[in-house]
Amino acid sequence: MFHRYLILVALLLSATAHAQEEQPSISQLLQEPFLDDYYSNVVYGYEIVTDSQRHASRYVGNALNCSSCHLQAGTQKDALPLNVAGMYPKWRAKNGKRNGIGLRIRECFLYSMDGIMPPEDAPEVLAVSAYVSYLSQGEVMGAEPEGRGVPTLPDTGYDPNPASGRLVYLQQCASCHGEQGQGVGVAPPVWGLDSFNRGAGMHGIETAAGFIWANMPLGQGRSLSQQQALDVAAYINLQIRPADPRESRLLKLLEAVLP
Amino acid sequence: MIARVARQLLREALPDLAWRHRLTHWRTEIFAGFVGAVLVIPQGINFAWLAGMQPEYGLYCAIFVTLFASLLGSSSMMSGPNTAVAILIGAAVLPLAGRGSPVYVDFVFLLCLMVGIVQLLFWLLRAGRLFQYISPAAISGISAGAGFLIVMSSLDSLLGLSSFQTTFFYQKLYVILSDAVDLVSPYSLSIALVTITAGYLARERSSRYFLLIAVAAGYVAGLVVAFIWPQPVTELEYLGRMPIEWLPWRVPTLTMEYLMISVSLIPYAVTIAVIGLAQSLVIVRELKMETDQDIRLDKEVYAQGVANFLAPFFSAFAGAGSFNRTKANQSLGATTPLSTLAASVFVLLLVSLLGPVLTWMPMAALAGTLFIVGANMIKWSDVQHYARVRSELMIYLATFLCIVFFGLAAGVTVAVVLSVTAFLLNISRLELREESTAAGTLLRVRGALFYASMETLSDAFHRHLQGDLTVDLQYATHIDQSAVDFFAREAAQMRRRAQTLHLRVNATQSHFLQSMGVGDNVRLEALQDDAPPATIPFAPHHSTTLTGETR
Repeated sequence: MFHRYLILVALLLSATAHAQEEQPSISQLLQEPFLDDYYSNVVYGYEIVTDSQRHASRYVGNALNCSSCHLQAGTQKDALPLNVAGMYPKWRAKNGKRNGIGLRIRECFLYSMDGIMPPEDAPEVLAVSAYVSYLSQGEVMGAEPEGRGVPTLPDTGYDPNPASGRLVYLQQCASCHGEQGQGVGVAPPVWGLDSFNRGAGMHGIETAAGFIWANMPLGQGRSLSQQQALDVAAYINLQIRPADPRESRLLKLLEAVLP
Repeated sequence: MIARVARQLLREALPDLAWRHRLTHWRTEIFAGFVGAVLVIPQGINFAWLAGMQPEYGLYCAIFVTLFASLLGSSSMMSGPNTAVAILIGAAVLPLAGRGSPVYVDFVFLLCLMVGIVQLLFWLLRAGRLFQYISPAAISGISAGAGFLIVMSSLDSLLGLSSFQTTFFYQKLYVILSDAVDLVSPYSLSIALVTITAGYLARERSSRYFLLIAVAAGYVAGLVVAFIWPQPVTELEYLGRMPIEWLPWRVPTLTMEYLMISVSLIPYAVTIAVIGLAQSLVIVRELKMETDQDIRLDKEVYAQGVANFLAPFFSAFAGAGSFNRTKANQSLGATTPLSTLAASVFVLLLVSLLGPVLTWMPMAALAGTLFIVGANMIKWSDVQHYARVRSELMIYLATFLCIVFFGLAAGVTVAVVLSVTAFLLNISRLELREESTAAGTLLRVRGALFYASMETLSDAFHRHLQGDLTVDLQYATHIDQSAVDFFAREAAQMRRRAQTLHLRVNATQSHFLQSMGVGDNVRLEALQDDAPPATIPFAPHHSTTLTGETR
């Protein structure tokens, strides 16, 4: 019995000691020769987020990386930061379900990465959720972290205008993302078959406008006016991109064939 | 002496390309290799899943283990991903890390490195012949048990129960039956049913390609389901893109911490090494009997060891010989390692070409083929075959039940222990014939005279305490020191009772008994060595050789 208490005390001590410790940074973790299961998954998750093309190629269908939208590997505020582990499980209108962080990550693969929805226990999903937990350390459980998602733009009083959006795009965006939106170098494609599909969150004009206003052009966030951001988002929204995977292809075919 | 052994080891260690002189039908060989490659792709993916690894590692196993084993071996045996080995890898490493995670993959490669080392030790100790003592009943029992495990593990993907863990198989069946409506995904189930039905229908026509037909049918069923219902509705699992590299070089992680943790993998490494070699050597022995290939068992042990040792450096997990692919290879007329070499190259080519097609392979279709593979491994004819001899049926059933309830590793251990026990019990049995003659009692002995069989002989001696005793050793297969001591002791006692012990021996036995110090109390009566015995006084026996040789 005494031994059991001893072990319990030791466990408690180690647990509190662990909680007080500052968690190691990613660059420190990358230099460690040996990582336990949790931290090796954190590093794997970091690698997937920054280089999905290489490390999660199994389930990725387009040319994007997670960090194409989750800027700075998911650490930048107002750019869909990933420190949100405390907010899940959470009900989402998108699928009408109470979503765990796992389902949330799997749907990213299906929509934003235009790929295959991985199974619940896929190593990639578990690694990214470990990384999300790692980033969420210090956040209040259940509360919304500061700078979550993208800022919601106020009503400007004008409808988004794709025609003026095109002009802004050619002026401000095309030098990196290409005139055809195909992406050049590290700048990801913003439309076309190598970009996110019509089911992705970024396909909504409001989300895209908030993201563009807060972060684009890269490094000069908030330099566009809110109306310009809305116009560019509307322009991008009209371009060609992969179909929404929630639609049945059979029904689409029937719609096209039947009068 | 040492130089001779070293030279022999070196001769075995270097690739022997003598088979190229036998190469007459190279087109046949290459075609057989192509069929082998087509057959191994679904198996490699499935067995990677059983081992808890990403599918490409199974394909690397089909490429590189096959390549090294056939380069260094001397037979046309197809090595590569193996069911029992894959299940054992999963059982060994799953307690240490999450399925497919980076640490898991590191531990699997460490385990395979150990398997290779253990098998190379078996080669250096010339222990390949030990595997002859594992009885065929035990190997069939292991195969049937592994089949049962495969069927059970295929149920998860087959019914669309994702990440579903139970300790015993009947719990899984109970949960499936009681919660069928909530748990079972109709989409997965229908794809799997199409696969299994197609497989069994095709097996009537073609015993070789039915698995391929099953996979193809499941793939088409998956496409139809995906066309009608979108993936967010079906939640079907797909294989996904496989990042196949042509030279997936990697160095296994060897740090102090890994080595400390991997101590718990050592028993599994030994079990995997044993089960891999046991299966490979059974295949090789069959090949040797059925074809005229110049096959040396020790060289095959070496080839398996090196292939498994090098596998982790090429992102492959350990493998062993494959019964079904070797059979297919043989029936297509392949007799040289060229066909297996061709198979490994074709796997690489085919996977590179088929990659985009395989992406949309539903896991339910693969689970359906696993179900067929597993169900095929449990054969009622095996039970009937072994039912004729009680001890063999015992070994078969005990092995099977142990695997079903306690896992493959426990079952393999039980199989080895039981078959060695049965073997020892068999050879320690002595057959005795007693005749009364004018000169006393004549005792004819058949069997091996060694420490374990002395009890029987001693009982017989104590039944005949009156008069002289003649023991006929003509049919004794083996005599050891304890038998010689026994005769000397008994003869001394009999001399005190004024009796004499006569031993009828041939020249070699006489020489051996004298050199081992049987003493003057025993009278040795020489037999005519070359005179064949008029009648053999024993009932015909199926296995014992009647050479009367001594060591």
